[in-house]
Amino acid sequence: MALIVKTPRYAFELIEALGQTGLLTTEGTLYPLLSRLRRDGLVKTEWQESTDGPPRRYYELTAEGRRALTAFKTEWTSFRGAVDGILQEGTKS
Amino acid sequence: MSAPHADQLIDGYLARVRAAAADLPSGARDELLDDMRAHIGEARSREPEETDASVLNILDRLGEPDTVVAEARRRPNAQEPHPADARPRPYVPGVLEVAALVLLLLLWPVGVILLWISPAWNIRDKVIGTLLPPGGYPAIFLIGLVAATTVSSGATSGPTCTSSADTTGTVIQNVCTTPSVIHGAGSVVGVILVIVLWLLPLITVGYLAIRLGWGRRAQAAATT
Repeated sequence: MALIVKTPRYAFELIEALGQTGLLTTEGTLYPLLSRLRRDGLVKTEWQESTDGPPRRYYELTAEGRRALTAFKTEWTSFRGAVDGILQEGTKS
Repeated sequence: MSAPHADQLIDGYLARVRAAAADLPSGARDELLDDMRAHIGEARSREPEETDASVLNILDRLGEPDTVVAEARRRPNAQEPHPADARPRPYVPGVLEVAALVLLLLLWPVGVILLWISPAWNIRDKVIGTLLPPGGYPAIFLIGLVAATTVSSGATSGPTCTSSADTTGTVIQNVCTTPSVIHGAGSVVGVILVIVLWLLPLITVGYLAIRLGWGRRAQAAATT
């Protein structure tokens, strides 16, 4: 979701971006995930013709999606902080 | 073009996805297939030179159809657009059940058939409905008739009298034992039996009617 915060993107771009991070091994599984986000009202989609290929479905965050992302960031930061704390504790002793 | 089997490979892959997604709601399945078709088209348009191997590589990266569909199936809210498909409607009892109850009393064989056809009752209710008023009122009439003839034939034997006389020939005692006491007790039992016989079908039908109401309420509670 963070990948479409600034600008709407289409799935293939998302897959490329995620592929570079090594987070996505089975590319096809992104599509059910995106469908779910759309059903939950967190993203909205729009088909657009492209000049260099078939029509693309662009994904964009909704207001609710932005709120969910902000909430997740907060949670994630505190979770990461907690895990980091435990790991550091472990290396000290 | 050195990808003579590209379309065949892609069609085969999409057919496997479709088969794996057979249990998904049609909306979700079509959307997934559209997305995957668009993805494959996009990926093909980016290949500098398409070969069977490059097409296979695209499909390979997409993943096994089962894996992709499993992701689509992962959460129940994937079925939200089709709640009517996912959950069968509760059965609403109607004319069939009323006819079954009335005919159980008046035309037992037909009533029993209707009772077993109706999905409104469970097996236990159906067995109770079938066994408790065996034959319905026609059978009770028949039983009553048979009982009446037995009683009347028994009555013809009448009271049995034994006379005891002394040596002078005077009758001292005339003991007549009519089966009145036994007959009296028999008639009380008979009356109770008749009442029970007449009430039993009504009670059974009443029970079945109540079960209809309970079933409806239970189903309503289950769906809310």
